[in-house]
Amino acid sequence: MGRLVRSEWTKLLTTRVWLGLLLASCLLSVGFAVLLTAFAGNPQSGIPPVGSSQYEQLAFAVPANVTVLTLILGIIGTTQEYRHRTATPTFLATPRRGHVVIAKLLAYAVAAAPFALAVVAVTTLTVVLHAGARGAAPAWDADDLGVLARSGLALVVYAVIGVGLGALFRNQVGAIVGSLVYLFVVEPIIRSIPATAGVYKWLPGGALEAMTATFAGPDLLTAWQGGLLLLGYGLLAAVLGTLLAVRRDVV
Amino acid sequence: MQVEVRGLSKTFGPVRAVDDLSFTVAPGQVTGFLGPNGAGKTTTLRMALGLVTPDAGTTTFNGIRYADLPDPLRRVGAVLETAFHPARSGRNHLRVYCRAAGLPLRRADEVLDQVGLGPAGGRKAGGYSLGMRQRLGLATALLGDPAVLVLDEPANGLDPEGIQWLRGFLRHLAHAEGRTVLVSSHLLAEVDQTADRVVIVGAGKLVREGSLTQLRAGADADGAGTVLVRSPEAGRLAQELTAAGVPVEATGTEALTVTGLTAAEVGSRAFASGIELHELRAHSTGLEELYFRLTAGQEQFAAAGSADATDRQAAS
Repeated sequence: MGRLVRSEWTKLLTTRVWLGLLLASCLLSVGFAVLLTAFAGNPQSGIPPVGSSQYEQLAFAVPANVTVLTLILGIIGTTQEYRHRTATPTFLATPRRGHVVIAKLLAYAVAAAPFALAVVAVTTLTVVLHAGARGAAPAWDADDLGVLARSGLALVVYAVIGVGLGALFRNQVGAIVGSLVYLFVVEPIIRSIPATAGVYKWLPGGALEAMTATFAGPDLLTAWQGGLLLLGYGLLAAVLGTLLAVRRDVV
Repeated sequence: MQVEVRGLSKTFGPVRAVDDLSFTVAPGQVTGFLGPNGAGKTTTLRMALGLVTPDAGTTTFNGIRYADLPDPLRRVGAVLETAFHPARSGRNHLRVYCRAAGLPLRRADEVLDQVGLGPAGGRKAGGYSLGMRQRLGLATALLGDPAVLVLDEPANGLDPEGIQWLRGFLRHLAHAEGRTVLVSSHLLAEVDQTADRVVIVGAGKLVREGSLTQLRAGADADGAGTVLVRSPEAGRLAQELTAAGVPVEATGTEALTVTGLTAAEVGSRAFASGIELHELRAHSTGLEELYFRLTAGQEQFAAAGSADATDRQAAS
Protein backbone atom coordinates (compact mmCIF):
# COMPACT_ATOMS: atom_id res chain seq x y z
CA MET A 1 0.00 0.00 0.00
CA GLY A 2 2.93 2.33 0.73
CA ARG A 3 4.13 2.19 -2.85
CA LEU A 4 0.63 2.78 -4.22
CA VAL A 5 0.28 5.88 -2.05
CA ARG A 6 3.68 7.12 -3.26
CA SER A 7 2.58 6.44 -6.83
CA GLU A 8 -0.48 8.65 -6.23
CA TRP A 9 1.72 11.42 -4.83
CA THR A 10 3.93 11.20 -7.91
CA LYS A 11 0.80 11.54 -10.08
CA LEU A 12 -0.37 14.53 -8.03
CA LEU A 13 2.96 16.37 -8.05
CA THR A 14 3.87 15.81 -11.70
CA THR A 15 1.04 17.97 -13.05
CA ARG A 16 0.28 21.50 -11.93
CA VAL A 17 -3.35 21.01 -10.91
CA TRP A 18 -2.47 21.12 -7.20
CA LEU A 19 -0.52 24.35 -7.61
CA GLY A 20 -3.35 26.12 -9.38
CA LEU A 21 -5.88 24.98 -6.79
CA LEU A 22 -3.54 25.93 -3.92
CA LEU A 23 -3.00 29.44 -5.29
CA ALA A 24 -6.73 29.87 -5.90
CA SER A 25 -7.51 28.63 -2.36
CA CYS A 26 -4.99 31.00 -0.78
CA LEU A 27 -6.14 33.99 -2.82
CA LEU A 28 -9.83 33.37 -2.14
CA SER A 29 -9.26 32.77 1.54
CA VAL A 30 -7.09 35.88 1.92
CA GLY A 31 -9.67 37.87 -0.04
CA PHE A 32 -12.53 36.72 2.22
CA ALA A 33 -10.45 37.50 5.31
CA VAL A 34 -9.66 41.01 4.05
CA LEU A 35 -13.32 41.71 3.26
CA LEU A 36 -14.47 40.33 6.60
CA THR A 37 -11.94 42.42 8.52
CA ALA A 38 -12.60 45.56 6.48
CA PHE A 39 -16.32 45.44 7.28
CA ALA A 40 -15.93 44.22 10.87
CA GLY A 41 -17.80 46.48 13.26
CA ASN A 42 -19.68 48.14 10.39
CA PRO A 43 -23.26 48.23 11.70
CA GLN A 44 -24.76 47.69 8.23
CA SER A 45 -22.71 44.54 7.56
CA GLY A 46 -23.70 42.89 10.81
CA ILE A 47 -20.13 41.65 11.31
CA PRO A 48 -18.92 41.96 14.91
CA PRO A 49 -16.04 44.41 15.51
CA VAL A 50 -12.36 43.40 15.52
CA GLY A 51 -11.20 42.38 18.96
CA SER A 52 -14.46 40.60 19.70
CA SER A 53 -14.32 36.85 20.16
CA GLN A 54 -17.10 36.44 17.59
CA TYR A 55 -15.14 38.30 14.90
CA GLU A 56 -12.03 36.24 15.55
CA GLN A 57 -13.83 32.94 15.26
CA LEU A 58 -15.54 34.09 12.07
CA ALA A 59 -12.19 35.15 10.65
CA PHE A 60 -10.49 31.88 11.54
CA ALA A 61 -13.33 29.94 9.94
CA VAL A 62 -12.65 31.61 6.58
CA PRO A 63 -10.51 28.72 5.19
CA ALA A 64 -13.60 26.50 5.41
CA ASN A 65 -15.11 28.65 2.64
CA VAL A 66 -12.70 27.20 0.10
CA THR A 67 -13.38 23.53 0.89
CA VAL A 68 -14.92 23.31 -2.59
CA LEU A 69 -11.41 23.63 -4.03
CA THR A 70 -9.97 20.69 -2.08
CA LEU A 71 -13.12 18.82 -3.07
CA ILE A 72 -12.23 19.51 -6.71
CA LEU A 73 -8.61 18.44 -6.03
CA GLY A 74 -9.88 15.06 -4.83
CA ILE A 75 -12.39 14.71 -7.68
CA ILE A 76 -9.68 15.36 -10.27
CA GLY A 77 -7.38 12.91 -8.48
CA THR A 78 -9.75 10.03 -9.24
CA THR A 79 -11.49 11.13 -12.43
CA GLN A 80 -8.30 12.00 -14.32
CA GLU A 81 -7.65 8.26 -14.56
CA TYR A 82 -10.76 7.99 -16.73
CA ARG A 83 -10.45 11.36 -18.45
CA HIS A 84 -6.94 10.61 -19.71
CA ARG A 85 -7.50 6.84 -19.88
CA THR A 86 -4.63 6.15 -17.48
CA ALA A 87 -7.02 3.80 -15.69
CA THR A 88 -5.63 1.15 -18.06
CA PRO A 89 -1.96 1.31 -16.95
CA THR A 90 -3.04 2.00 -13.36
CA PHE A 91 -5.20 -1.13 -13.15
CA LEU A 92 -2.57 -3.16 -15.02
CA ALA A 93 -0.09 -2.22 -12.29
CA THR A 94 -2.68 -2.87 -9.56
CA PRO A 95 -5.36 -5.32 -10.69
CA ARG A 96 -7.06 -5.12 -7.27
CA ARG A 97 -8.88 -1.90 -8.00
CA GLY A 98 -10.09 -1.40 -4.45
CA HIS A 99 -6.46 -0.98 -3.43
CA VAL A 100 -6.11 1.88 -5.90
CA VAL A 101 -9.12 3.66 -4.36
CA ILE A 102 -7.80 3.14 -0.81
CA ALA A 103 -4.36 4.42 -1.88
CA LYS A 104 -5.96 7.53 -3.36
CA LEU A 105 -7.99 8.18 -0.19
CA LEU A 106 -4.85 7.91 1.96
CA ALA A 107 -2.65 9.84 -0.47
CA TYR A 108 -5.07 12.76 -0.76
CA ALA A 109 -5.81 12.85 2.97
CA VAL A 110 -2.08 13.22 3.66
CA ALA A 111 -1.38 15.55 0.72
CA ALA A 112 -4.28 17.81 1.67
CA ALA A 113 -2.72 18.42 5.12
CA PRO A 114 0.14 20.70 3.98
CA PHE A 115 -2.29 22.20 1.46
CA ALA A 116 -4.71 23.06 4.29
CA LEU A 117 -1.83 24.25 6.45
CA ALA A 118 -0.75 26.72 3.75
CA VAL A 119 -4.31 28.08 3.36
CA VAL A 120 -4.73 28.37 7.13
CA ALA A 121 -1.31 30.06 7.47
CA VAL A 122 -1.87 32.78 4.86
CA THR A 123 -5.38 33.41 6.19
CA THR A 124 -4.11 33.71 9.76
CA LEU A 125 -1.34 36.04 8.64
CA THR A 126 -3.87 38.23 6.85
CA VAL A 127 -6.15 38.35 9.89
CA VAL A 128 -3.28 39.12 12.28
CA LEU A 129 -1.92 41.93 10.10
CA HIS A 130 -5.24 43.44 9.03
CA ALA A 131 -7.01 43.19 12.39
CA GLY A 132 -3.82 44.35 14.08
CA ALA A 133 -3.73 47.38 11.83
CA ARG A 134 -7.33 48.08 12.82
CA GLY A 135 -6.29 48.05 16.46
CA ALA A 136 -6.97 44.56 17.82
CA ALA A 137 -4.74 41.56 17.10
CA PRO A 138 -6.45 38.18 17.79
CA ALA A 139 -6.55 36.95 21.34
CA TRP A 140 -5.41 33.40 20.44
CA ASP A 141 -7.67 31.79 22.99
CA ALA A 142 -8.69 28.15 22.88
CA ASP A 143 -11.83 28.92 20.84
CA ASP A 144 -9.79 30.73 18.18
CA LEU A 145 -7.33 27.89 17.85
CA GLY A 146 -10.11 25.32 17.81
CA VAL A 147 -11.92 27.03 14.92
CA LEU A 148 -8.65 27.40 13.00
CA ALA A 149 -7.79 23.72 13.42
CA ARG A 150 -11.28 22.58 12.42
CA SER A 151 -11.23 24.80 9.31
CA GLY A 152 -7.98 23.17 8.22
CA LEU A 153 -9.38 19.72 8.99
CA ALA A 154 -12.46 20.51 6.90
CA LEU A 155 -10.21 21.19 3.90
CA VAL A 156 -8.60 17.76 4.35
CA VAL A 157 -11.91 15.95 4.79
CA TYR A 158 -13.33 17.57 1.63
CA ALA A 159 -10.35 16.30 -0.39
CA VAL A 160 -11.21 12.78 0.83
CA ILE A 161 -14.87 13.32 -0.14
CA GLY A 162 -13.67 14.44 -3.59
CA VAL A 163 -11.73 11.21 -4.11
CA GLY A 164 -14.84 9.23 -3.15
CA LEU A 165 -17.15 11.22 -5.43
CA GLY A 166 -14.67 10.88 -8.30
CA ALA A 167 -14.63 7.11 -7.85
CA LEU A 168 -18.43 7.05 -7.89
CA PHE A 169 -19.04 9.31 -10.89
CA ARG A 170 -15.84 8.79 -12.96
CA ASN A 171 -16.81 11.71 -15.25
CA GLN A 172 -14.66 14.68 -14.25
CA VAL A 173 -16.78 17.53 -15.55
CA GLY A 174 -19.98 15.87 -14.38
CA ALA A 175 -18.65 15.25 -10.88
CA ILE A 176 -17.35 18.82 -10.47
CA VAL A 177 -20.42 20.54 -11.91
CA GLY A 178 -22.72 18.22 -9.96
CA SER A 179 -20.89 19.01 -6.71
CA LEU A 180 -21.01 22.75 -7.32
CA VAL A 181 -24.72 22.65 -8.12
CA TYR A 182 -25.39 20.57 -5.03
CA LEU A 183 -23.33 22.74 -2.68
CA PHE A 184 -24.39 26.14 -3.99
CA VAL A 185 -27.94 25.55 -5.21
CA VAL A 186 -29.52 22.43 -3.71
CA GLU A 187 -28.25 22.70 -0.14
CA PRO A 188 -29.01 26.41 0.33
CA ILE A 189 -32.58 25.70 -0.78
CA ILE A 190 -32.91 22.78 1.62
CA ARG A 191 -31.44 24.95 4.37
CA SER A 192 -33.85 27.82 3.77
CA ILE A 193 -37.13 25.90 3.42
CA PRO A 194 -38.59 25.27 6.89
CA ALA A 195 -40.04 21.91 5.91
CA THR A 196 -36.63 20.51 4.92
CA ALA A 197 -34.40 22.55 7.24
CA GLY A 198 -34.42 19.75 9.80
CA VAL A 199 -32.58 17.49 7.36
CA TYR A 200 -29.89 20.07 6.70
CA LYS A 201 -27.75 19.20 9.71
CA TRP A 202 -27.29 15.68 8.35
CA LEU A 203 -26.11 16.91 4.93
CA PRO A 204 -22.48 17.69 3.98
CA GLY A 205 -23.06 21.46 4.13
CA GLY A 206 -24.69 21.22 7.54
CA ALA A 207 -21.86 19.02 8.76
CA LEU A 208 -19.30 21.53 7.50
CA GLU A 209 -21.19 24.34 9.20
CA ALA A 210 -21.20 22.29 12.40
CA MET A 211 -17.41 22.02 12.21
CA THR A 212 -16.71 25.72 11.84
CA ALA A 213 -19.80 27.83 12.45
CA THR A 214 -19.69 30.15 15.42
CA PHE A 215 -22.80 32.21 14.89
CA ALA A 216 -26.19 31.13 15.99
CA GLY A 217 -27.57 29.42 12.91
CA PRO A 218 -29.83 26.47 12.18
CA ASP A 219 -29.91 23.40 14.35
CA LEU A 220 -26.53 21.66 13.88
CA LEU A 221 -24.54 18.71 15.13
CA THR A 222 -21.52 19.26 17.35
CA ALA A 223 -18.23 19.98 15.60
CA TRP A 224 -16.70 16.52 15.96
CA GLN A 225 -19.97 14.84 14.91
CA GLY A 226 -20.00 17.04 11.83
CA GLY A 227 -16.41 16.06 10.99
CA LEU A 228 -17.14 12.35 11.37
CA LEU A 229 -20.31 12.67 9.30
CA LEU A 230 -18.35 14.35 6.49
CA LEU A 231 -15.66 11.67 6.62
CA GLY A 232 -18.46 9.09 6.53
CA TYR A 233 -19.89 10.66 3.36
CA GLY A 234 -16.44 10.53 1.74
CA LEU A 235 -15.89 6.90 2.63
CA LEU A 236 -19.43 5.94 1.64
CA ALA A 237 -18.89 7.48 -1.80
CA ALA A 238 -15.57 5.64 -2.09
CA VAL A 239 -17.08 2.28 -1.11
CA LEU A 240 -20.08 2.72 -3.44
CA GLY A 241 -17.73 3.93 -6.18
CA THR A 242 -15.49 0.90 -5.79
CA LEU A 243 -18.44 -1.51 -5.87
CA LEU A 244 -20.51 0.16 -8.58
CA ALA A 245 -18.22 2.18 -10.87
CA VAL A 246 -14.53 1.33 -10.50
CA ARG A 247 -15.15 -2.39 -11.03
CA ARG A 248 -16.70 -1.83 -14.42
CA ASP A 249 -14.89 -2.86 -17.59
CA VAL A 250 -12.14 -0.54 -18.74
CA VAL A 251 -12.59 -0.62 -22.51
CA MET B 1 5.98 -18.04 -19.34
CA GLN B 2 3.11 -19.62 -21.25
CA VAL B 3 -0.16 -17.83 -21.84
CA GLU B 4 -3.30 -19.97 -22.05
CA VAL B 5 -6.55 -18.49 -23.27
CA ARG B 6 -9.41 -20.89 -22.57
CA GLY B 7 -12.99 -20.48 -23.71
CA LEU B 8 -13.16 -16.68 -23.49
CA SER B 9 -16.53 -15.16 -24.33
CA LYS B 10 -17.86 -11.63 -24.06
CA THR B 11 -21.09 -10.05 -25.24
CA PHE B 12 -21.59 -6.29 -25.53
CA GLY B 13 -25.32 -5.68 -25.90
CA PRO B 14 -26.39 -7.59 -29.00
CA VAL B 15 -22.81 -8.13 -30.22
CA ARG B 16 -20.99 -11.33 -29.40
CA ALA B 17 -17.53 -9.71 -29.41
CA VAL B 18 -15.59 -12.83 -28.40
CA ASP B 19 -17.05 -16.29 -28.78
CA ASP B 20 -15.52 -19.27 -26.96
CA LEU B 21 -11.98 -18.34 -27.96
CA SER B 22 -9.05 -20.56 -26.95
CA PHE B 23 -5.40 -20.42 -27.95
CA THR B 24 -1.93 -20.76 -26.47
CA VAL B 25 1.03 -18.42 -26.64
CA ALA B 26 4.44 -19.99 -26.11
CA PRO B 27 7.68 -18.39 -24.87
CA GLY B 28 10.62 -17.68 -27.19
CA GLN B 29 8.31 -16.88 -30.10
CA VAL B 30 6.50 -13.92 -31.54
CA THR B 31 2.83 -14.82 -31.87
CA GLY B 32 0.77 -12.66 -34.21
CA PHE B 33 -2.86 -12.15 -33.17
CA LEU B 34 -4.59 -11.38 -36.44
CA GLY B 35 -8.08 -10.38 -37.36
CA PRO B 36 -9.99 -7.57 -39.04
CA ASN B 37 -11.09 -4.51 -37.10
CA GLY B 38 -13.91 -5.49 -34.79
CA ALA B 39 -12.93 -9.17 -34.67
CA GLY B 40 -12.56 -9.01 -30.88
CA LYS B 41 -8.77 -8.75 -30.59
CA THR B 42 -8.68 -5.80 -28.20
CA THR B 43 -11.51 -7.20 -26.08
CA THR B 44 -9.66 -10.53 -25.86
CA LEU B 45 -6.43 -8.86 -24.75
CA ARG B 46 -8.28 -6.68 -22.21
CA MET B 47 -10.02 -9.75 -20.79
CA ALA B 48 -6.67 -11.57 -20.57
CA LEU B 49 -5.30 -8.69 -18.50
CA GLY B 50 -8.27 -8.36 -16.17
CA LEU B 51 -9.46 -4.99 -17.47
CA VAL B 52 -12.66 -6.43 -18.94
CA THR B 53 -14.52 -9.17 -17.12
CA PRO B 54 -15.28 -12.09 -19.47
CA ASP B 55 -18.75 -13.65 -19.52
CA ALA B 56 -16.99 -17.01 -19.55
CA GLY B 57 -13.50 -18.43 -19.80
CA THR B 58 -10.11 -17.74 -18.26
CA THR B 59 -6.66 -16.58 -19.24
CA THR B 60 -3.65 -17.77 -17.26
CA PHE B 61 0.04 -16.90 -17.21
CA ASN B 62 1.90 -20.08 -16.22
CA GLY B 63 -1.36 -21.19 -14.65
CA ILE B 64 -2.09 -17.96 -12.75
CA ARG B 65 -4.75 -15.39 -13.63
CA TYR B 66 -3.45 -11.83 -14.21
CA ALA B 67 -5.28 -10.40 -11.20
CA ASP B 68 -3.65 -13.04 -8.98
CA LEU B 69 -0.09 -12.49 -10.24
CA PRO B 70 2.20 -11.14 -7.55
CA ASP B 71 3.79 -7.94 -8.96
CA PRO B 72 2.05 -8.19 -12.35
CA LEU B 73 4.20 -5.49 -14.02
CA ARG B 74 7.30 -7.59 -13.35
CA ARG B 75 5.76 -10.55 -15.17
CA VAL B 76 3.52 -9.18 -17.91
CA GLY B 77 4.00 -5.96 -19.86
CA ALA B 78 1.16 -4.64 -21.99
CA VAL B 79 0.75 -1.93 -24.60
CA LEU B 80 -3.00 -1.55 -25.02
CA GLU B 81 -3.48 2.06 -25.95
CA THR B 82 -1.45 5.20 -25.70
CA ALA B 83 -2.81 6.39 -22.36
CA PHE B 84 -1.12 9.10 -20.35
CA HIS B 85 -1.80 12.48 -18.81
CA PRO B 86 -0.92 15.04 -21.51
CA ALA B 87 0.61 17.48 -19.01
CA ARG B 88 2.92 14.88 -17.45
CA SER B 89 6.35 14.26 -18.95
CA GLY B 90 7.16 10.86 -20.40
CA ARG B 91 9.72 10.23 -17.69
CA ASN B 92 7.28 11.15 -14.90
CA HIS B 93 4.60 8.96 -16.48
CA LEU B 94 6.99 6.03 -16.21
CA ARG B 95 7.99 6.98 -12.66
CA VAL B 96 4.36 6.77 -11.55
CA TYR B 97 4.32 3.08 -12.51
CA CYS B 98 7.83 2.48 -11.12
CA ARG B 99 6.39 3.61 -7.78
CA ALA B 100 3.26 1.49 -8.12
CA ALA B 101 5.28 -1.64 -8.99
CA GLY B 102 8.01 -0.98 -6.43
CA LEU B 103 10.68 -0.60 -9.13
CA PRO B 104 13.66 1.74 -8.79
CA LEU B 105 13.06 5.10 -10.50
CA ARG B 106 16.11 4.65 -12.72
CA ARG B 107 14.10 2.02 -14.65
CA ALA B 108 12.20 4.96 -16.18
CA ASP B 109 15.39 6.28 -17.80
CA GLU B 110 16.55 2.81 -18.80
CA VAL B 111 13.39 1.97 -20.74
CA LEU B 112 13.27 5.45 -22.30
CA ASP B 113 16.73 4.78 -23.73
CA GLN B 114 15.70 1.25 -24.74
CA VAL B 115 12.89 2.56 -26.96
CA GLY B 116 14.92 5.52 -28.23
CA LEU B 117 12.93 8.15 -26.35
CA GLY B 118 15.70 9.26 -23.97
CA PRO B 119 16.10 12.85 -25.19
CA ALA B 120 12.31 13.45 -25.16
CA GLY B 121 11.79 12.06 -21.65
CA GLY B 122 11.49 15.48 -20.03
CA ARG B 123 8.89 16.78 -22.47
CA LYS B 124 5.16 16.72 -21.83
CA ALA B 125 3.67 13.54 -23.29
CA GLY B 126 0.79 15.55 -24.76
CA GLY B 127 3.24 17.04 -27.25
CA TYR B 128 4.53 13.68 -28.46
CA SER B 129 3.96 12.49 -32.03
CA LEU B 130 1.90 9.32 -32.55
CA GLY B 131 5.09 7.31 -33.03
CA MET B 132 6.59 8.67 -29.81
CA ARG B 133 3.38 7.80 -27.95
CA GLN B 134 3.66 4.22 -29.16
CA ARG B 135 7.25 4.13 -27.97
CA LEU B 136 6.22 5.51 -24.58
CA GLY B 137 3.55 2.79 -24.36
CA LEU B 138 6.19 0.18 -25.16
CA ALA B 139 8.52 1.71 -22.56
CA THR B 140 5.74 1.40 -19.95
CA ALA B 141 5.33 -2.28 -20.82
CA LEU B 142 9.07 -2.89 -20.47
CA LEU B 143 9.38 -1.20 -17.04
CA GLY B 144 9.18 -4.40 -15.01
CA ASP B 145 11.42 -6.41 -17.40
CA PRO B 146 8.48 -8.83 -17.91
CA ALA B 147 8.65 -12.36 -19.32
CA VAL B 148 5.45 -11.77 -21.31
CA LEU B 149 4.71 -8.84 -23.62
CA VAL B 150 1.23 -8.18 -24.94
CA LEU B 151 0.97 -5.51 -27.62
CA ASP B 152 -2.25 -4.29 -29.23
CA GLU B 153 -1.62 -2.83 -32.70
CA PRO B 154 1.79 -1.43 -31.69
CA ALA B 155 2.71 -0.37 -35.24
CA ASN B 156 -0.12 2.16 -35.46
CA GLY B 157 1.36 5.56 -36.09
CA LEU B 158 4.94 4.38 -36.48
CA ASP B 159 6.88 5.59 -39.52
CA PRO B 160 8.56 3.02 -41.82
CA GLU B 161 11.78 3.26 -39.85
CA GLY B 162 9.86 2.81 -36.60
CA ILE B 163 8.07 -0.27 -37.94
CA GLN B 164 11.40 -1.76 -39.05
CA TRP B 165 12.82 -1.05 -35.60
CA LEU B 166 9.77 -2.53 -33.85
CA ARG B 167 10.02 -5.77 -35.85
CA GLY B 168 13.66 -6.21 -34.96
CA PHE B 169 12.98 -5.30 -31.34
CA LEU B 170 10.12 -7.81 -30.92
CA ARG B 171 12.13 -10.59 -32.59
CA HIS B 172 15.06 -9.82 -30.30
CA LEU B 173 12.82 -9.91 -27.20
CA ALA B 174 11.41 -13.32 -28.20
CA HIS B 175 14.27 -15.10 -29.93
CA ALA B 176 17.34 -13.76 -28.10
CA GLU B 177 15.79 -13.12 -24.70
CA GLY B 178 13.25 -15.96 -24.70
CA ARG B 179 10.24 -13.81 -23.82
CA THR B 180 6.65 -14.55 -24.76
CA VAL B 181 5.50 -11.94 -27.27
CA LEU B 182 1.87 -11.61 -28.37
CA VAL B 183 1.28 -8.87 -30.90
CA SER B 184 -2.08 -8.06 -32.46
CA SER B 185 -2.64 -6.55 -35.88
CA HIS B 186 -5.34 -6.31 -38.49
CA LEU B 187 -2.73 -6.58 -41.26
CA LEU B 188 -1.09 -9.85 -42.23
CA ALA B 189 1.76 -7.95 -43.88
CA GLU B 190 2.61 -6.39 -40.55
CA VAL B 191 3.23 -9.63 -38.69
CA ASP B 192 4.33 -11.59 -41.77
CA GLN B 193 8.02 -10.88 -41.21
CA THR B 194 7.90 -10.81 -37.41
CA ALA B 195 5.69 -13.62 -36.20
CA ASP B 196 6.63 -17.26 -35.82
CA ARG B 197 3.07 -18.28 -35.12
CA VAL B 198 -0.27 -16.67 -35.86
CA VAL B 199 -3.66 -16.88 -34.25
CA ILE B 200 -6.32 -15.65 -36.66
CA VAL B 201 -9.72 -14.58 -35.37
CA GLY B 202 -12.83 -13.47 -37.20
CA ALA B 203 -16.07 -12.29 -35.58
CA GLY B 204 -14.76 -13.29 -32.15
CA LYS B 205 -14.03 -16.89 -33.13
CA LEU B 206 -10.77 -18.69 -33.74
CA VAL B 207 -10.24 -19.25 -37.48
CA ARG B 208 -6.69 -20.61 -37.71
CA GLU B 209 -3.86 -21.17 -35.31
CA GLY B 210 -0.39 -22.44 -36.09
CA SER B 211 3.12 -21.65 -37.24
CA LEU B 212 3.26 -19.20 -40.11
CA THR B 213 5.11 -21.64 -42.40
CA GLN B 214 2.65 -24.42 -41.63
CA LEU B 215 -0.36 -22.18 -42.26
CA ARG B 216 1.18 -20.83 -45.46
CA ALA B 217 1.84 -24.34 -46.78
CA GLY B 218 -1.69 -25.38 -45.88
CA ALA B 219 -3.21 -22.37 -47.55
CA ASP B 220 -1.08 -22.81 -50.68
CA ALA B 221 -2.16 -26.44 -50.85
CA ASP B 222 -5.74 -25.15 -50.75
CA GLY B 223 -4.83 -23.44 -54.01
CA ALA B 224 -5.54 -19.95 -52.87
CA GLY B 225 -2.29 -18.28 -54.02
CA THR B 226 -2.13 -16.19 -57.17
CA VAL B 227 0.65 -15.71 -59.74
CA LEU B 228 1.01 -12.78 -62.15
CA VAL B 229 2.25 -13.62 -65.66
CA ARG B 230 3.11 -11.30 -68.52
CA SER B 231 3.58 -12.75 -71.96
CA PRO B 232 3.19 -11.65 -75.62
CA GLU B 233 1.27 -14.93 -76.02
CA ALA B 234 -0.98 -14.41 -73.00
CA GLY B 235 -4.02 -15.64 -74.92
CA ARG B 236 -2.43 -19.01 -75.81
CA LEU B 237 -1.16 -19.50 -72.24
CA ALA B 238 -4.64 -18.74 -70.88
CA GLN B 239 -6.16 -21.36 -73.20
CA GLU B 240 -3.61 -24.01 -72.16
CA LEU B 241 -4.12 -23.34 -68.47
CA THR B 242 -7.91 -23.18 -68.71
CA ALA B 243 -7.87 -26.48 -70.59
CA ALA B 244 -5.91 -27.94 -67.66
CA GLY B 245 -8.60 -26.71 -65.28
CA VAL B 246 -6.59 -23.87 -63.76
CA PRO B 247 -8.55 -20.65 -63.03
CA VAL B 248 -7.10 -17.79 -65.10
CA GLU B 249 -8.08 -14.16 -65.28
CA ALA B 250 -6.88 -11.66 -67.85
CA THR B 251 -5.56 -8.58 -66.07
CA GLY B 252 -4.50 -6.69 -69.24
CA THR B 253 -3.80 -7.34 -72.90
CA GLU B 254 -0.64 -9.27 -72.14
CA ALA B 255 -1.10 -10.12 -68.48
CA LEU B 256 -2.81 -12.96 -66.60
CA THR B 257 -3.52 -13.73 -62.98
CA VAL B 258 -3.31 -17.45 -62.31
CA THR B 259 -4.83 -18.94 -59.19
CA GLY B 260 -3.79 -22.19 -57.52
CA LEU B 261 -0.37 -22.72 -59.07
CA THR B 262 3.05 -21.63 -57.85
CA ALA B 263 5.18 -19.35 -60.02
CA ALA B 264 7.46 -22.33 -60.75
CA GLU B 265 4.54 -24.47 -61.94
CA VAL B 266 3.27 -21.73 -64.24
CA GLY B 267 6.82 -21.25 -65.59
CA SER B 268 7.37 -24.91 -66.37
CA ARG B 269 4.00 -25.21 -68.16
CA ALA B 270 4.81 -22.16 -70.28
CA PHE B 271 8.24 -23.59 -71.06
CA ALA B 272 6.75 -26.93 -72.05
CA SER B 273 4.43 -25.16 -74.50
CA GLY B 274 7.23 -22.91 -75.77
CA ILE B 275 5.54 -19.73 -74.61
CA GLU B 276 7.75 -16.70 -74.07
CA LEU B 277 7.34 -15.01 -70.64
CA HIS B 278 8.26 -11.42 -69.84
CA GLU B 279 7.29 -11.47 -66.20
CA LEU B 280 6.42 -14.14 -63.68
CA ARG B 281 5.91 -13.49 -60.01
CA ALA B 282 3.89 -14.61 -57.04
CA HIS B 283 1.19 -12.00 -56.59
CA SER B 284 -0.07 -13.12 -53.23
CA THR B 285 0.52 -16.17 -51.12
CA GLY B 286 -2.26 -18.52 -50.17
CA LEU B 287 -2.24 -17.17 -46.65
CA GLU B 288 -2.73 -13.61 -47.84
CA GLU B 289 -5.65 -14.73 -50.00
CA LEU B 290 -7.08 -16.74 -47.16
CA TYR B 291 -6.74 -13.80 -44.79
CA PHE B 292 -8.19 -11.44 -47.37
CA ARG B 293 -11.21 -13.68 -47.90
CA LEU B 294 -11.59 -13.95 -44.15
CA THR B 295 -11.52 -10.23 -43.58
CA ALA B 296 -13.34 -9.04 -46.71
CA GLY B 297 -16.66 -7.48 -45.81
CA GLN B 298 -16.00 -7.80 -42.12
CA GLU B 299 -14.32 -4.46 -41.63
CA GLN B 300 -16.62 -2.28 -39.60
CA PHE B 301 -15.24 0.89 -41.07
CA ALA B 302 -14.35 -0.45 -44.48
CA ALA B 303 -13.36 2.81 -46.17
CA ALA B 304 -11.21 4.11 -43.33
CA GLY B 305 -9.75 0.67 -42.72
CA SER B 306 -8.67 0.09 -46.30
CA ALA B 307 -7.16 3.55 -46.66
CA ASP B 308 -5.26 2.84 -43.50
CA ALA B 309 -4.19 -0.51 -44.87
CA THR B 310 -2.92 1.04 -48.09
CA ASP B 311 -0.86 3.54 -46.11
CA ARG B 312 0.55 0.80 -43.97
CA GLN B 313 1.45 -1.42 -46.87
CA ALA B 314 3.09 1.50 -48.63
CA ALA B 315 4.96 2.17 -45.42
CA SER B 316 6.18 -1.37 -45.03
